[in-house]
Amino acid sequence: MDSLTGQTRAVPLLQVRNVRKVFQQTEAIRDVSIDVADGEFLSLLGPSGCGKSTLLMMIAGLTRPTEGAITIGGTPVVGPRPDIAVVFQQPVLLPWRTILDNVLFPVEVLRLPRKDYEDRAMELLAMAKIAEFAKHLPHQLSGGMRQRASICRALVRDPSILLMDEPFSALDAITRDEIGVELLRIWQVNRKTVIFVTHSIREAAFLSDRVLVMGRRPSTVAAEFKINLPRPRTIPMMEEEPFNHHSRELRKAIEASHAH
Amino acid sequence: MLTKITEKLSDIFWPTLITVLLLALWEILVRVLHVRSILLPAPSEIAITMVRQQDQILRHLWPSLYMTIVGFVLSVVGGVFVAILITYSEVLRKGLYPVIVVSQVIPKIAIAPLFIVWFGTGATSSLLLAVLIAFFPMTINAAMGFSSIDPDIHRMARTFMASDWQVFWKIRIPNALPYLFGGMKISITLAIIGVIVSEFVASQEGIGYLIKLAGGLLDTPLMMAAITALSLSGLALYGLISLAERYAVFWNSTRDDVK
Repeated sequence: MDSLTGQTRAVPLLQVRNVRKVFQQTEAIRDVSIDVADGEFLSLLGPSGCGKSTLLMMIAGLTRPTEGAITIGGTPVVGPRPDIAVVFQQPVLLPWRTILDNVLFPVEVLRLPRKDYEDRAMELLAMAKIAEFAKHLPHQLSGGMRQRASICRALVRDPSILLMDEPFSALDAITRDEIGVELLRIWQVNRKTVIFVTHSIREAAFLSDRVLVMGRRPSTVAAEFKINLPRPRTIPMMEEEPFNHHSRELRKAIEASHAH
Repeated sequence: MLTKITEKLSDIFWPTLITVLLLALWEILVRVLHVRSILLPAPSEIAITMVRQQDQILRHLWPSLYMTIVGFVLSVVGGVFVAILITYSEVLRKGLYPVIVVSQVIPKIAIAPLFIVWFGTGATSSLLLAVLIAFFPMTINAAMGFSSIDPDIHRMARTFMASDWQVFWKIRIPNALPYLFGGMKISITLAIIGVIVSEFVASQEGIGYLIKLAGGLLDTPLMMAAITALSLSGLALYGLISLAERYAVFWNSTRDDVK
C-alpha cells in the first residue's frame, strides 16, 4: 500500500489499524487499515450502505470500533476531539441562529472567546462567498449556501482533520461541481487533512489526492488509487482525458469489488 | 411588500365580514320574528346589557381570569418540569409517560364534584381543576418538543463536543419552543374551562357562577353578556400567547423549508 502513495507521506497523521465494526451480529466493516498523511485529501468511494460513513463516524469518535485501533498523531481516538470537525450530508444548521452564530457554535461550545473568532468566521464566510448572509437565518439561504456555511462552521476552530460525509449528495449537479471547486480553494488555503466520503466517482476523482474504493458489506478497502491531476483543479479538467482515465479506473475497481 | 400587507388585510377582512353578517342576520331575525328576549336576545340587547351591567360582570370576571391565569402558569411550569424529567429519566419515560398519555382519555371535568368533596367550594377547587385539565396537554407537548431533536443535530453537537447541559440550553430548549407554545395555547383554553366548570358546580363568585345565577333568574341577556365577556377574555389571552409566540419563534414565521 505504501508504495502507491508516494513521498508526500512522511509520518501518517491518522492511522486506522485493522478496524472491524459489528452491529448486532452484522459485520459492517472487516479489517480496514488506512494511513492518512497530514494535508492529504483522501476520498472513501463506495456504494451507499457500504460502511464508509460508519468508518468516518469511528474516526470522529462518535462510535468505537469493535476491534482494531484509530490513532491521530499517535494518540488513540476515544471520543470527539477539538482538532476533528465533521461536515454531514445535511447542513444541520440550527434554524434559530444566524449564519454567523451557527458558524461560531463550535467556538461557543468550547467556551472560547467569541471576539477572537468572529473575524475568522467572517473570513471563512467571505471565502465561501456567503459573507453578506452572515446575519441571515438558515432558511433564507439556498441548500448550497447552507452547506457552505456548515463547512465554515467545521473550519472555524481550525481543526487539523476535516471529515466529510457525502456533504454534497443533497445538492443538484451544477451546485455540486461549483461547491467542489470552492472546497478545494478553501482547502488549498487552509491545508487541512480531508477524509471525504462519497458515492460519486466523478467527485472522488476531481477532489482527491488519493481514493480508496470500498466494497459492499462487510466492507474492506478493495482498491487504492492516486489521482495525479495538477492542482488547482478546474471544472474543464473534468472533460479531459487524464480525468476520464481516472474515472474509468475507479469504475472498474468498483465493478470488480461487486463481483465477489 | 405591498402585496403582503394587502394579503394580511384580506386575511382579517373576510372573517370580520362574515362575523358582522351573521350578527346582522341574527339581529334581523330576532326583530322580524319577534323572538322573545328570554329565549334569544338580539346582539344589540346583549351589547346594551354588557354596558349597563358592566360592574357586575367585571366583578365576577376578574376572579375567574385570575384563577385561569394562575392555573395556567402552574400548568406550564409543572408541565415543563415533568417533561424535562421524562426527557432525561428513562424510568420516568417508560413508566410515567404512557400513564400521562392514557390519562388524557379520562374526562377530567367529571372529577369536579369530587374536588368539591375534597377541597371545599373555594378557590382551591377551581385552581386544582384548572391545573388538572391544563397540565397534561402542556406536559405532553413539552415532552415531545424536548425529545424531537433531529438526530443529525444531536450528532453535530456531539462532534463539536457540546456537553449535555449545552445540548439542553442551546438545542433542546429552542427546538421545543414551537411545541411549548402549542401546548400553552391548548392549556389556556382548558384552564378557562376548568375554572368555569368548578364555578358552575360550587362557588359564590366568578363568571361561571354569574352565568348559572342569570340562568336561574331566566335573565338570558345577562347570561349571554357574561358568556360574551368570557369569550372575549379567552380570545385576548389566546391572542397574547400567539403574539409572544410570533416573537419567540421567529425562525418559523416564514418557514419555507423543512430542513
